[in-house]
Amino acid sequence: MRYAFLVAWREYAENVKTKGFWIGIFIFPLMIWLMLSAERWIEKTRSVRSFVLVDQSNELGEAIDAALERLYQREVLEAFGKWVQKNSAQGPKLPTAEELEQMPALGSNDVVTKWAAGNPELLDEFLRNGGLEAAVAQVRPLLRAEAGEFVAPRRSFQRVALPEGLTATQEPAQLAEALKPYLRHERELVHDAEPVELFAAVLVPADILERVVRPGAMPVLPGKERQGIQYWSANLADTELQEEIEVAVNEEVRRREYEAQGVDTDTVQAVQRTHVPFVALDPKKEAGQETVSMADKIRQWAPVGFVYLLWIAIFTISQMLLNNTIEEKSNRIIEVLLSSVTPGELMMGKLGGIAAVGLTMIAAWLLSLFTILQIKAGQEAQLATELLEVLQGRGLLASFIVYFVLGYLLYAGAFLAIGSLCNTLKEAQNMMGPIMIIMIVPLMTMAFIPKEPNGTLATILSWIPFYTPFVMMNRAAADPPMFDRIGTLILLVATTALVLWLSGRIFRLGILRTGQPPKFMELVRWLRSG
Amino acid sequence: MHVLELERVTKLYGEFRAVDELSFTVREGSITGFLGPNGAGKTTTLRMILGILKPTTGKIAVFGQPSALDVRSRVGYLPEEKGLYKKMKCVEIVAYFAALKGVDRRTAKSRALELLERYGLKDFAQKRTEALSKGMGQKVQVLASIAHDPELVILDEPFSGLDPVNQQVLEEIVRDLAARGRTVLFSTHVMQHAERMCDRILLIARGKKLFDGTVPEALRTIPRRLVIESADDIAPLRALPGVLALSPLAGDAHKPGTWEVRLRESSDPQEVLASCFEHGIRLRRFDHSDPSLHEVFVNLVGPEAREASYR
Repeated sequence: MRYAFLVAWREYAENVKTKGFWIGIFIFPLMIWLMLSAERWIEKTRSVRSFVLVDQSNELGEAIDAALERLYQREVLEAFGKWVQKNSAQGPKLPTAEELEQMPALGSNDVVTKWAAGNPELLDEFLRNGGLEAAVAQVRPLLRAEAGEFVAPRRSFQRVALPEGLTATQEPAQLAEALKPYLRHERELVHDAEPVELFAAVLVPADILERVVRPGAMPVLPGKERQGIQYWSANLADTELQEEIEVAVNEEVRRREYEAQGVDTDTVQAVQRTHVPFVALDPKKEAGQETVSMADKIRQWAPVGFVYLLWIAIFTISQMLLNNTIEEKSNRIIEVLLSSVTPGELMMGKLGGIAAVGLTMIAAWLLSLFTILQIKAGQEAQLATELLEVLQGRGLLASFIVYFVLGYLLYAGAFLAIGSLCNTLKEAQNMMGPIMIIMIVPLMTMAFIPKEPNGTLATILSWIPFYTPFVMMNRAAADPPMFDRIGTLILLVATTALVLWLSGRIFRLGILRTGQPPKFMELVRWLRSG
Repeated sequence: MHVLELERVTKLYGEFRAVDELSFTVREGSITGFLGPNGAGKTTTLRMILGILKPTTGKIAVFGQPSALDVRSRVGYLPEEKGLYKKMKCVEIVAYFAALKGVDRRTAKSRALELLERYGLKDFAQKRTEALSKGMGQKVQVLASIAHDPELVILDEPFSGLDPVNQQVLEEIVRDLAARGRTVLFSTHVMQHAERMCDRILLIARGKKLFDGTVPEALRTIPRRLVIESADDIAPLRALPGVLALSPLAGDAHKPGTWEVRLRESSDPQEVLASCFEHGIRLRRFDHSDPSLHEVFVNLVGPEAREASYR
């Protein structure tokens, strides 16, 4: 045992010193941080998109302008809300566990956005009360002294005039043809004495109101769509402007329809804003507390993160194990080692040492994850609080460690056997092929399983030992049946023991072997005779 | 007491007899040279002694124990193919191997430093082994194999790959060990080393023992001989009681008038010289040198070594 420990200690000390280990440690928090910051960066770096609007009907232009202005004011309000939260006198406030339990579950991560968007009254109030200036003046006394000025976000879209030489009265087809070089960014137009790229062109024909399609009318024939509003843009991915304009013109058209039919538009608006309370409930929770909360949602999805973590951790360190087994073999260090320790001790030491490396890596990842989430206060901080609670409360951490250890031993056993049979990494890679294919499956099913955690696919996969750690981790939040939990665990332990025993034999026979890795049948013969 | 005892040890690889009914013993405090052509089964034998390989049949006892692992702290081993962990420092690696042999970690480290210093590697102690040349790496490995101060040291081809200066350092290491009463068993191709250093020679070929004894005994296995060169008739020498045979010198050194005289073991070459004077044979050359171990090796193994199968 003492010797196995010595081997383990060396494996640990040496691997922790490698560059790969430190890259592994840092790349994960870096990725998380990038992911959390990406949105803001994109926001900051995204240029203002310029578009031209030619409204030959003189009917819809105003409505479009108004809608885009309202869109901008909504963005200002959102940013303002975040700014207030960040700079409020009590410091950035993290929701407590109870508050989280109360918070209604939302599909998206951005509560403020949904709240503002879902509450037209709030935006109306904001605008009615004098907009941003009045709001800033109002909250100023409640903020910390060192809070800086609020900087309103830039506009996403700006309307620019037609390039020189074009007039709004030209035929739409002609206009479109003339604008094409600008839209393709072959030419730039001038706005406020600055050259700008044209993002989009919106052409509203003079007779647009006669083109309104009503129920019962003939559907628009293919090829005739151009008789309506034309939206030209070379960017097919960013459809925000297109959607905003489409919604705006249709709302305006419907408003006119109401008027034409003699319906009071204020009433319609008021009616459109009516709703009944709607709540999602979970029968598994305590009586009186069944409301599905933000916390429940996080709890539901947190295991996916753990599965991913499990997967990365297991394969990173199994790879390490493979690499240094091959190093020892190709360097012939193995012979000195085997004159000092038994193959069994060597194998145990290696498995143990590398497992410790893996646990260190996971601990560092979790630590940095929480640190980042705490530093980047705001919406994401709820996640940190909740994750911590989930980790402690639901025994997820315990299952994570159990599945990590077993899963690791299972795959490491296989990798170790391969390592002992090969002399070069290249040979090993050939033999790794089948394992790689097996490995991909839990990654692919990771996102589906929480939707039907006790479904047929999930159940079948959990009974395949090579997938048990991942799939059971995936299902952990959904309280899988006890039979599945215990049964798959027993099967996993048994398989792991078998694989370790087999790989122990292969290890013993293969470790001193030089030359070509054996063929499969040869291997079977070895296992029988050895 | 015998430090090492092998009794009818055989190792089969499928049909191939790598080691065939090999028996020998190694006395405490001796330096034994383990000689044999390529593929003779030397490395296999050493691996079996260390318990890395299991013999197919036969018995091995190291310090009276069936497995060398039971007495691992008393045995040191340098394998034929040398390698070190590239990223480890010299002192760490020497200390690690010593610790694996049961030395506690602090003692291991101080002993590692001491050894590296004593054998001229002080400046490299804190360097990673990847910075070392092949020969220096090999020296580090030799030190790693003796850092736990074993009573029995087994070295497989320790001299190969070393320059003459470092070969001398290694000889010094081996002599130091022997001077402290340690037992050394080493395999080599270089007969001069064996001849200079060994108390005993063990020669095997094709897995079988060909010779087992002291160096003088080994030298006695081939007849003593003289080379003489003369234009005169040397026939009278045939009549001498000490002369076994007289024949023209064969091989590369052949020249007309050059003769090889084979002598009886007990005879004195001076008798031949005296007889030459007596018969008025004028000598251009009278070459009497003791046979070398090299000749013994070629003589015993000679034709077989050429066809020995490589594995």
